[in-house]
Amino acid sequence: MTTFTKKQWIGLVLGLIGLIAPFFFNIEGLSEAGHIGLGIFFLAAVFWMLEPVPIYATSVLVIFLQILLLSKEGLIFGTPTDFYNPDSYTAFIGTLASPIIILFLGGFVLADAAVKYNLDRNLTRILLKPFGDKPKYIVLGLMVVTALLSAFMSNTATTAMMMTVILPIIARIDKSDPLRIGLALSIPFAANIGGMATPIGTPPNAVVIGTLSNQGINIPFGDWMVLATPLVIIVLFLTWLLLLFMFKPSTESIQLDMSGRFNTSGNAVLLYLVFAVTVLLWVSESLHGMKSAIIALIPVVVLSVTKVITKEDIRKLPWEVLWLVAGGISLGISMKNTGLAEWIVTSIEWTSFGTIAMIVAFSAVAIIMSNFLSNTVTATLLIPLAVSLATSGIAGEGFNLIIISVVIGMSASLAMVLPISTPPNAIAISTGALETKNMAKAGVVIGVFGIALVTLYAIFYWPIMLN
Amino acid sequence: MENQIFILVVEDELEVMDALVNDLEEFETHFPIETANSAAEAEQVVEHIIDSGSTVGLILCDHVLPGKNGVDLLIELQNENKTKDSRKVLVTGQAGLEDTVQAVNKAHLNHYIAKPWSKEGLHDVVIQQLTDYVINRKLNLLSYMSILDAERLAESLRDNPLTDH
Repeated sequence: MTTFTKKQWIGLVLGLIGLIAPFFFNIEGLSEAGHIGLGIFFLAAVFWMLEPVPIYATSVLVIFLQILLLSKEGLIFGTPTDFYNPDSYTAFIGTLASPIIILFLGGFVLADAAVKYNLDRNLTRILLKPFGDKPKYIVLGLMVVTALLSAFMSNTATTAMMMTVILPIIARIDKSDPLRIGLALSIPFAANIGGMATPIGTPPNAVVIGTLSNQGINIPFGDWMVLATPLVIIVLFLTWLLLLFMFKPSTESIQLDMSGRFNTSGNAVLLYLVFAVTVLLWVSESLHGMKSAIIALIPVVVLSVTKVITKEDIRKLPWEVLWLVAGGISLGISMKNTGLAEWIVTSIEWTSFGTIAMIVAFSAVAIIMSNFLSNTVTATLLIPLAVSLATSGIAGEGFNLIIISVVIGMSASLAMVLPISTPPNAIAISTGALETKNMAKAGVVIGVFGIALVTLYAIFYWPIMLN
Repeated sequence: MENQIFILVVEDELEVMDALVNDLEEFETHFPIETANSAAEAEQVVEHIIDSGSTVGLILCDHVLPGKNGVDLLIELQNENKTKDSRKVLVTGQAGLEDTVQAVNKAHLNHYIAKPWSKEGLHDVVIQQLTDYVINRKLNLLSYMSILDAERLAESLRDNPLTDH
């Protein structure tokens, strides 16, 4: 056992009180199950925010508490009541193998194998060549490549790899040249932004897709890319301009030392092939109709059958991320089923907001929250509210369920003000090439134009694509 | 004092000790430095560091010492569990071939610095050795990126990456 900080003690006590309290108070308009759901939601929110236990541990705790207190096989609701028809416990544990989790597993296996055979670095080497040696275009090149890779690999793994590319460059640049800061920021920012582009890019996307799928809405891989990629491109481009403006390079040219060659062993070639086929099948789902989670099993099966990835590689996969996402999706199930989400929604006077104001509000709240909290947790806590708002009809006609969920998902990824906002930010700051205030200034500007852009897309672009 | 990684310098000549510690000054923010004038004192210092919940990341050791010599000290520390992973460097002008072979074979000597040393050369060795130490011990690599070999640490993060959350 490690020792708790004061913050963690507060989180632990507050969370437990929150869990127990609804058993002793009667809240008007909320069913008995809703009371319990509220307690679990409160505990999860407090635990995720103050982290008395790791966030992935809170996720499995949430699943377990829901089974214990809210499922048909649990301690309380053995028989359905007039107000609550409990789900079977399999609905809650099923989230651990839901299609979006399997999709992520496929992504993990591909990314892991790519790192193992250096595919990520070799692609970087090839893709950076056309960008020449002028600092501003090199920064652009680095950002494009980083975003592209982080759309398919984890943002953090991409950042770690790209750091090995830029650190030697930074070391050669004069200490007084602002380019050092611009370079060091370009990588984590591009990684955060690139993660939005595909369903497997970053976990908040999974929460959005998983929650929508519980509502019976299936978003194919390619459709998500059609929604997200134009936003990614424009945010990436603006971020590039911002970094050049804020940290004007004084160096004339920089040399990239990108020697190396592709691994041509049988295993590596097989990996390249599986990678290409899987991605092609994912983006072309609308042509062949095979679900992306099924396609995700191709790399899992082929690479493990052929021993391209070994038992040790499988053990090293980031399983806790899958727990985190599953817990998030699971929390959404009972919030809806117990009437809790609807109760929260109806207790706020929404009619005073217009649709646009609501989009701006959700986007802003998501960006602010996820600057301090995990992006996935932010999406998990906000999306059930948005879902209830949209499905209860309270928010009015223009309030589309898919759009508001995507707004929250995208906004959660646009938080990059602080070192703690995302792991890529933490890596960048730890290199010592920049100060927190550099990151904060640039991050705030990105956050502000992020809200504006997300809102514009939500009003003008996404409705066209979804109809 | 808990959970710190110490650099231990073992050297009997005061002037040389001062020069070494001076050259290592910039590491002190992350790696506190302890000194010892003899093998016996070094053993006490190590014990004290371990007892306070910290570890010894790097031992820079002279060979010719009063009492037990440097190579024997390193061999002894290599055979103890708590200092097995510590990086071991001889800083000497007088270790003969036989002693040096002993140090390599039995103390798993990681590096040999011949006196007189250059500040840059010493820094390189310290950075590489401590980078090895934090990677081997699977410590939180991020907290060392600004002082050690950031490129190698980033490379190691790829193998065992932090994850998105």
